[in-house]
Amino acid sequence: MTTVLEVEDITKTYMMGEIPVNALRGLSFEVESGEYIAVVGPSGSGKSTLLNMIGALDRPTSGKLMIEGVDVSTLSDNQLADTRKNVGFVFQFFNLIPRLDARGNVDLPLAIAGVPRSERKKRTEEVLTSVGLEDRMHHKSSELSGGERQRVAVARAIVTNPAFILMDEPTGNLDSKTGGEIMDLVKQLNEKQGVTLIVVTHDQYIGQQADRTLHMLDGVIASDVVN
Amino acid sequence: MKSRDVFSFSFGAVRLRKMRAGLTILGIVIGIAAIVALTSITTGLQVTITSELGAGFSSDTVTVSTQSFRMFGGGTSDFTLLVNDTDTINEIEGVQTSAAIMSKSVMLDFGSTELPLSVTGVEYTAYASIYSSFVAEEGSIPETPVNNSVVIGSRVTDPWDNGTVIAEVGDTILISWTHRVGLEMVEENYTAEVVAILEEIGGFSMGPNDLGLYIPLSTAQSFFDTDEVNSIAVQLVSDDEELIETVSQAIEDAFDGLVTVTSPTALLETMSSVFDIISLFLIGIAGISLLVAGIGIMNIMIVSLMERTREIGILKALGMKSRTVLGIFLTEALVVGLVGAVVGVVTGYSIAMIFAAFSGGLLGGMPGRESSGGPSSSLMTITPILTMDIILGAMAFGVLVAVIFALYPAWRASKLNPVDALRYE
Repeated sequence: MTTVLEVEDITKTYMMGEIPVNALRGLSFEVESGEYIAVVGPSGSGKSTLLNMIGALDRPTSGKLMIEGVDVSTLSDNQLADTRKNVGFVFQFFNLIPRLDARGNVDLPLAIAGVPRSERKKRTEEVLTSVGLEDRMHHKSSELSGGERQRVAVARAIVTNPAFILMDEPTGNLDSKTGGEIMDLVKQLNEKQGVTLIVVTHDQYIGQQADRTLHMLDGVIASDVVN
Repeated sequence: MKSRDVFSFSFGAVRLRKMRAGLTILGIVIGIAAIVALTSITTGLQVTITSELGAGFSSDTVTVSTQSFRMFGGGTSDFTLLVNDTDTINEIEGVQTSAAIMSKSVMLDFGSTELPLSVTGVEYTAYASIYSSFVAEEGSIPETPVNNSVVIGSRVTDPWDNGTVIAEVGDTILISWTHRVGLEMVEENYTAEVVAILEEIGGFSMGPNDLGLYIPLSTAQSFFDTDEVNSIAVQLVSDDEELIETVSQAIEDAFDGLVTVTSPTALLETMSSVFDIISLFLIGIAGISLLVAGIGIMNIMIVSLMERTREIGILKALGMKSRTVLGIFLTEALVVGLVGAVVGVVTGYSIAMIFAAFSGGLLGGMPGRESSGGPSSSLMTITPILTMDIILGAMAFGVLVAVIFALYPAWRASKLNPVDALRYE
């Protein structure tokens, strides 16, 4: 087991106009490869801020955050962008590019990473098949159901073989049945392909399914429970 | 991200909003088309005029007159050139030969109607050696002409170009010249025999023209009862520019600066600089429309930037660097600019061709089949000229305008913070 994510006493302070807001107030944890972690907590507890840090979208105000041994807090914007290629994102609102078809969306992270076309074609087909969308490859997101869209998003997240997949309320915009199907798919990817998962959620079902649950409260980790 | 992928991504974005892209492109098309049309027409006009002018003189010839040939201003003096002033000029070093030219307006009377023309008195041999276009197509130009001979321009035979032949070699024509003696108008008639018809000359000419009547200088002197000449054409030993300069100066000095010596080269240069100013002015006007198109591009791109904020957030979350986002937006502008420029060049040239066809017909129609006025001495047609310089220049300009105005929106897009962009509704 290797450590894919190391969070050491990170804080994040935003300025809301003149007033500083301490969104994260010193939290530490580690994620091993192949783990399935749920991050839960009420609104305003700092989940989204933590997610932005882990996803290398933003830098912590203080502390150390290592993604596969790379300290994110000291990186330039360009290096931060490169680090994001090593993180797979799945968003609540899918965030697919509407004018691209399923394959185009899944192809995008590979294109951004500069992978040759021939290789990309093979890889996207492979990944779309693994999420059960082999028949929907040429459909635009407007032609796909919510569940299918989220499957495309999952495929897009895993296509580059990132260090871990970061999911932000992945079931928040789906009915419970479809949400359950997505999480079962994700669980399967975790078990069969050893994909590391960090899921920020309100969903009790996910909380139960995960190997470990981090409870956040007021910018700190209140509890870190192995299920 | 590979540039091929950047291009296909940008192209997809442009293609998605066809109406918007089309209208943006239209702005560029109009600007470029205006520039191309105006430039190719003025270039065509310039080439037509200078080549027709150029055909009229030899580059080793200068014209001495009392009148300024400059484009603007220039007055006349009381000083007059006389027939035997050629002797003074011939003595100047560098002068090969010279020919005095005496021109008067006359009526050519051929029975039913009269035709206003100008008659020119010249020494045939000297004149022919200076102007290579003074060559007979029919008959021959005599070296020692009899007094009543006349050489006519090619269009004098058939001035309306409709088969009404009014003079052929061997015919006699009646030239009448009206002048004032004291308070009375006196009409004098001169019957001349056509000895030669000149080859067609066409266009503008400092030398012989298609509607000219040429009589021996001595005849002109006695008929018009004067020694005053309009100008003296001087042929130099070479067309070296320095020589032209020195000889011109020497001639001016010989007449105490009372004459103007015009070299065709100088005249052509003046004309061409005037054309340059005109075309620059026109391009400037067309450039303004391109500027407007550029502002349109900027406007559209800022709107598009707002709409696509979330897309930019996604791209950045997927690891796209800021400079690649910049590249995508600039490539979109490049696509718009390039398509606009290509369509603009084609449209502009088509407009120029249509204009030329229209104006050619217009100018060609000017002499008028049965018009009461005199026939025009030239049939000028403009062929628009589209050089590689114009094509490349216009395209570069169009693309440049598109890209420059896209710089700011593209820069703003690239600077978007991924966290905020993803949250953007």
